[in-house]
Amino acid sequence: MSARRVRAITVRILAQFRHDRRTLALLFVAPIVILGLLDFLLRGSGSHPAVGIVNLDQGGIGGNVATRLESSSLVSASPMDATAADRGLREGSLAGYVVFAADFSTRAVSEHVLAPQVHLEGSQPGPGQQVVAAVDQAVVAAISSLTAAGAPRLTPQVSYLYGGPGLDSLDYLGAALIGLVVFFLVFVITSVAFLRERSQGTLERLMASPLRRAEIVVGYMIGFTVLALLQSAEVLLFSLYVLKLHNAGSVPLIFLVVVLMAIVAVNLGIFLSMFARTEFQAVQFIPLVVAPQLLLSGILVPVSSEPGWLQVVSNVLPLTYAVDGLRDVMLKGADLSWSVLQRDTLVVLGYCVVVIVLAGLTLRRRVA
Amino acid sequence: MSTRPEYAVEVKDVAKTFGRLRALDGISLRIRRGEVYGLLGPNGSGKTTLIRCLVGLVQPNAGTVTVLGRRIPDLGVLARVGYMTQAAALYPDLSVEENLRFFAAINGAEANVDEALKFVELSDRRKSIVATLSGGMRTRASMACALIHHPDLLLLDEPTVGVDPQLRVQLWDRFQAMAAEGITIVVSSHVMDEADRCQRLGLIRFGKLLAEGSPQELRRMARVDRLEDAFLKLSATSAAGSGEGRP
Repeated sequence: MSARRVRAITVRILAQFRHDRRTLALLFVAPIVILGLLDFLLRGSGSHPAVGIVNLDQGGIGGNVATRLESSSLVSASPMDATAADRGLREGSLAGYVVFAADFSTRAVSEHVLAPQVHLEGSQPGPGQQVVAAVDQAVVAAISSLTAAGAPRLTPQVSYLYGGPGLDSLDYLGAALIGLVVFFLVFVITSVAFLRERSQGTLERLMASPLRRAEIVVGYMIGFTVLALLQSAEVLLFSLYVLKLHNAGSVPLIFLVVVLMAIVAVNLGIFLSMFARTEFQAVQFIPLVVAPQLLLSGILVPVSSEPGWLQVVSNVLPLTYAVDGLRDVMLKGADLSWSVLQRDTLVVLGYCVVVIVLAGLTLRRRVA
Repeated sequence: MSTRPEYAVEVKDVAKTFGRLRALDGISLRIRRGEVYGLLGPNGSGKTTLIRCLVGLVQPNAGTVTVLGRRIPDLGVLARVGYMTQAAALYPDLSVEENLRFFAAINGAEANVDEALKFVELSDRRKSIVATLSGGMRTRASMACALIHHPDLLLLDEPTVGVDPQLRVQLWDRFQAMAAEGITIVVSSHVMDEADRCQRLGLIRFGKLLAEGSPQELRRMARVDRLEDAFLKLSATSAAGSGEGRP
């Protein structure tokens, strides 16, 4: 293998990107937009579910709970009458309302039962759960304030092995999404770029030159990996310093996992582009490759909560290991002395080797 | 390899089928060094397949191909071969110069870029992006990429398709200038007036060599004045003679 010829291919690929502003924008703006939007979606201080409080209680306990509910940080609750609350629920302006019946305080004292009636809109599980949680908290707080000194109180002492009380869904998702975003964009761009090489006839010219197959694959790999490195660096900086994703581990280690994943994406792109005749067909590989990994690699739902047969599928996807590795590093502060991280990195590294070989093998067969 | 073989290209009993299509059907021909050899034949006659066999892009099912004394496939000999594909195979998003630099670099001929640009008269357009060039300029740029490494053998697959007559004349002047320097040129075409500028012609049809010789010899063989008539007549008699049973 000649370093000079490999370099020629790498230099050419980078020159092509310099001229192709749109693809550069896709590579460097898209991840920021995707992660930025997720930040707004998952951390947005936008709206809390609106909740109506209908307090018909003739005693004082209903009012006590209602005040606590109004100051809850989970929902934005406001008192109203029963008809307004019911109308609000039907019109969609309320996610739910709570009724403290006339005998709320009486039953609390005589039967030791606190029974607020919670009416939920019900078509969206998320806000409903939030309303119930807010009511729960308000009731527990009210009980604690009412019970005499000496009575048992509920104050669990929570400690965290990893993460902490501040960890939110973006911290959890973000760690995995760094891997996914880089994998996805690099895969799409490589497969289309390599397909174009074939459709415009330049691959034929390359194959009729002294270039070896391995030089083409390695040249491509380095060229795209340089871009993937820049992109990964940008995504990481943005995630850590703008989105302030939780990171307990070492940044170079995160970088290592992301870069290995990018190399898998490059070579998978070369490999699969051999099976497409047009750019349109190449685009059809995107759902085929990306959708299963998005759903099954544990980004959204942990692999351990999948049914057994599906876990088998998850366990052959490279992204599963990258996601696991990234989470171990960022959320748990893992380093390479952890056997789980060693396993994840080795598996992703193994995938790199496999796809590099596959890309090299298919290259000659499909050129003619 | 100290002995200079007499022939730049030797094709012996080469056959190639693609599925049920017999693209090359036991073809044999020899091309001398420094010769301008024209592969003449209609579309689909096997010209492109034959040229691709010469650079190892197509592996024949039978027969042998020897190029510049080396049995193909041979990666090393490709450094001495220039190949210009039918369509101008260039990177459309790169400039003319960047394309040339790339093909020069993979052939280890970085020093020849300026000279190649001058040769195809594109020095003033070196910074232009290929996609913005006219068809003729693209053809010239593609040619520059094919000969940037000073090949001993130049394979040109229908280089003048879609090229205006003026440029065609210019290109042919260049081919002949190169042949005069000892470069062997194999050019495929179905345009008869340029066939007349070849030293020898091979008439190809249905993957077979029907007749071979200088344009004058072919005319004499067919007893006609125009090369076009010679081609038609020779392919007709050959098809009848061999009982060609093509549907």
